[in-house]
Amino acid sequence: MRAAAVRYAPLLLLAAAWEAAPRLGLVDPDTLPPLTAVSRAWLKLLQDGDLAVNGLSSLQNLTAGLALGIVVGVALGVLMAWYKPIEVLVNPLIRILYPLPRSALIPVMILWFGLGAASKIAAVFLGCLLPIVIGAFNGARGVEEVLIWSALAAGAKRRQVLWEIVLPAAMPEILAGIRNALALSFILLVAAELLISQRGMGYLISSYGEAGAYDAMFAGVVTVSAVGFFADRLYLSVMGWALRWRG
Amino acid sequence: MAASISFQGVSHTYRPLRGEPLLALERVSLDVGEREFMALLGPSGCGKSTLLYLLGGFLPIETGTITVGGRPIAGPGPDRGIVFQSFALYPWKTVRQNILYGLEKQRQPRALREKRVRELIELVHLGGFENSYPAQLSGGMKQRVAIARTLAIDPAILLMDEPFGALDAQTREVMHEELLAIIQRTPKTVVFVTHDVREAVYLADRVAVMSARPGRVKEIVDTRFGGNKKPSVTGTQEFTQKVEYLWDLVRGEALLAQGKRDS
Amino acid sequence: MERMTALGEAALRWLSILAVLVAWQLFAEAHVVSDFLLPPLSTVLVRLYHDVVQGDLIPSVALTLYRAFAGFALASVIGVAVGVLVARVALARWFFDPLISIGLPMPKIAFLPVFILWFGVFDASKILMVAFSAVFPVVVSSWAAAEGVENVLLWSALSLGAGRRQLLWDVALPASLPQIFTGLQVALPIALIVEIVCEMAMGGEGLGGSIMTEMRFADSPGVFSGIIAIAVVGAALVRAMELVRRRLLIWHPEASAG
Repeated sequence: MRAAAVRYAPLLLLAAAWEAAPRLGLVDPDTLPPLTAVSRAWLKLLQDGDLAVNGLSSLQNLTAGLALGIVVGVALGVLMAWYKPIEVLVNPLIRILYPLPRSALIPVMILWFGLGAASKIAAVFLGCLLPIVIGAFNGARGVEEVLIWSALAAGAKRRQVLWEIVLPAAMPEILAGIRNALALSFILLVAAELLISQRGMGYLISSYGEAGAYDAMFAGVVTVSAVGFFADRLYLSVMGWALRWRG
Repeated sequence: MAASISFQGVSHTYRPLRGEPLLALERVSLDVGEREFMALLGPSGCGKSTLLYLLGGFLPIETGTITVGGRPIAGPGPDRGIVFQSFALYPWKTVRQNILYGLEKQRQPRALREKRVRELIELVHLGGFENSYPAQLSGGMKQRVAIARTLAIDPAILLMDEPFGALDAQTREVMHEELLAIIQRTPKTVVFVTHDVREAVYLADRVAVMSARPGRVKEIVDTRFGGNKKPSVTGTQEFTQKVEYLWDLVRGEALLAQGKRDS
Repeated sequence: MERMTALGEAALRWLSILAVLVAWQLFAEAHVVSDFLLPPLSTVLVRLYHDVVQGDLIPSVALTLYRAFAGFALASVIGVAVGVLVARVALARWFFDPLISIGLPMPKIAFLPVFILWFGVFDASKILMVAFSAVFPVVVSSWAAAEGVENVLLWSALSLGAGRRQLLWDVALPASLPQIFTGLQVALPIALIVEIVCEMAMGGEGLGGSIMTEMRFADSPGVFSGIIAIAVVGAALVRAMELVRRRLLIWHPEASAG
């Protein structure tokens, strides 16, 4: 606890600077409202329900896209490692999509799904898919053959081996891939919401920005950043717990 | 050009960021004469490398004094050249550029530098590999480059930290001969750390056996065998006796170290 | 033997790309979905050709690359400097460590409106946004690299007569170069995509801006041709970095296979 306090102390310094600099006129208080003003704006957003409505919308789309990406990605990756024909089929697609920055697909998603929630979920889904598929594929492929053989020798059927041996053994790589996908999902969602949206945190940030209510805008930016950071931290704890057998 | 070395009551404590401080050396006193080849022998963890690093000036001396040629040392310097077990070659430099490094630091005139490099490459039998990178060389060749690089600045003292430990047995024997030949041509004071008893007895004039941690000088054994060592000396009875004697000493200390760990 | 495998790998890569393109064309011609949703590859390629020869694709690419590179260069210089500083100076480490560990998982794209507010709607805000996003992987890898320089390398230099000041340029930086370069290789694609997203958000010229315009006009072949252009540029940059790495790090053990 104390170690954490010492470690993050510079942030307090920055917070103090954020408060002092605009107040002392070191920076234009219009372009950088003091921290207290931003906090007040944040509370107001909370009270007005603005934060809740947009935050919830963002969260829903993100979770939907990510969940879909996890389910499809893990399944696809593991199946690719397990059944050669599937790998031959899917590998070229991955090769092509890998160097393509996923954010570039946002306009395509909008073309396909319009301006509503579907395009954002689709953008997040496609973005998350690749790191998870690759992680699952590598993880499943890297499972030591002796583990599989000993299970088969013990009488397990191939499908059981897949569920009970391969999947758990591939977990470290799968979870690492999901961590990447998590970060990517935040980026894709915010980017999509900044571009065109009537709802969501990205929309909140840009609309308040356009309206000149910069303290609310900063409140939104800080919220999104904080959520992204804590989501990653939370995921790390979950990942640590899930992999606790690794020691 | 060589110099004498004197350790007086040198102690050293390692203070890691996390964990207990560790007393590595306890009041070590040792004298190495001019042009003497002194081997430091002992079990792992006895502090022999630490003693070498203190002499090299890489670790601060907290207790005791270390003098070279009568004067206390102050940090690392070109009077004490060092050769490491892991070669420590600069992978981004060619063989030639590695050997040149010390000469460049000494600001020697270019013509002189080039001449010296050529001499050294010949000395360590690396002709033809001047423009190779370390990654392309075998272990033995890498160590020859390391030795050449250190010899380039002609240090009075040569410090060697288990320099042949990473090499296979055959290469090691070849390197022994080469080292002895080099020392014949340009005499130096050598402090040689090893855990290999035969190597110590063969190469050194005297062998200092160190105790288990905290390291102290347990005993010093003369291994001169009348000077001018040839491989044939390893067959003599005197040689075998010395090796056995030292073996027992070292093994006793190794067991002690084990016992301390287990307790 | 090894060269054949390398060639075989490249051939396989191109073959699989070809396979996907062929599948695309067949799928589109089967009209399973409308031409709007998935225009045939032939249409898109024609459009791409048109954009290159008669349109402004090349100037767009140039503009996007210029801004992405400017941001990347800024991120590289600052990133390496901060990373090495943090590795060597305890105070710098204390100060920057939380900033870095917080900054990494943050969706930095959320700061785009802030950068627009501070630096306007022209090149400056885009370049700085790119730099802000790309600097983190460079700092992390530079830090790790500088910290990982083996003691024996530094000690041997000292005993060969190097002054403590010279250690940084003579030993620490060259020894860190492989890992630093890896960080740069991660940062460059990030720079490209952040630049494109900025252009999509702010409009105007550049690959991102063009794609958004085409999208607004429901110009499906235009959007897809833009995507292909981005993919090609992205792949070219990655390849270029690999070649530079091979040249620069010719001495690295990974380069000499024997």
